[in-house]
Amino acid sequence: MAIIAQRDQETIRNSFEEQMVGDVEIVMFTERPSPIILPFRGQCETCEDTERLLSEVAELSDKIKLTVHQLSTSGEEAASYGIDRVPAFVLKGAARGQVRFFGIPSGYEFSAFLADLIDTSRGSTDLSQATKEYLGTLTEDVNLKVFTTPT
Amino acid sequence: MATKMAVESERVTADVIEAQEFPDLARRYAVRGVPKIVINDYAEFVGALPEEQYVAQIRAAVAADAESSEGDGAVTAS
Repeated sequence: MAIIAQRDQETIRNSFEEQMVGDVEIVMFTERPSPIILPFRGQCETCEDTERLLSEVAELSDKIKLTVHQLSTSGEEAASYGIDRVPAFVLKGAARGQVRFFGIPSGYEFSAFLADLIDTSRGSTDLSQATKEYLGTLTEDVNLKVFTTPT
Repeated sequence: MATKMAVESERVTADVIEAQEFPDLARRYAVRGVPKIVINDYAEFVGALPEEQYVAQIRAAVAADAESSEGDGAVTAS
């Protein structure tokens, strides 16, 4: 059964169709269950669901491409994105900075994630002119961590 | 808001972190309520702020950053 309800799929498909401009690649890092039990290494509880959710989202627009890597065998690529844990993914498109997600974007976070996909596709947002001007004056890198919960 | 800023500026990296899935990070950054925003690993605020106030928080953190590095310079010079 699909994670995204049929009715929601249609709504999302339409808003992607109306609002997306350029292509977006979702680069995901995961860890699929290993046949070998490794001590001191817990199973990734949300990796499978995150991958399913992202692949369902990717199916709703031909502008979205999902690439999935195993963290254990793609260490260098993961490091280039600053990713050291799973599940995690980066949105690559027309964003100037980096948009990274750690954990499954479910519940309230899901709609925010969809909006981020669209913004990344467009390379622009509805931030005010004043905010954009301020961002243009930054001379040092700024990291923003946003902690959320699904509800 | 953070992700929008990352879309707009090559200087900004936005990390959206599901706190329950990464209790180690939630502990390290003392997350008790959400959304909690941590700027450059030290400045922080909790709650959804209107855009103007959100930017003011970042502006203050970035200014404090610049000031502290200038301060270090002065110490070295003396």
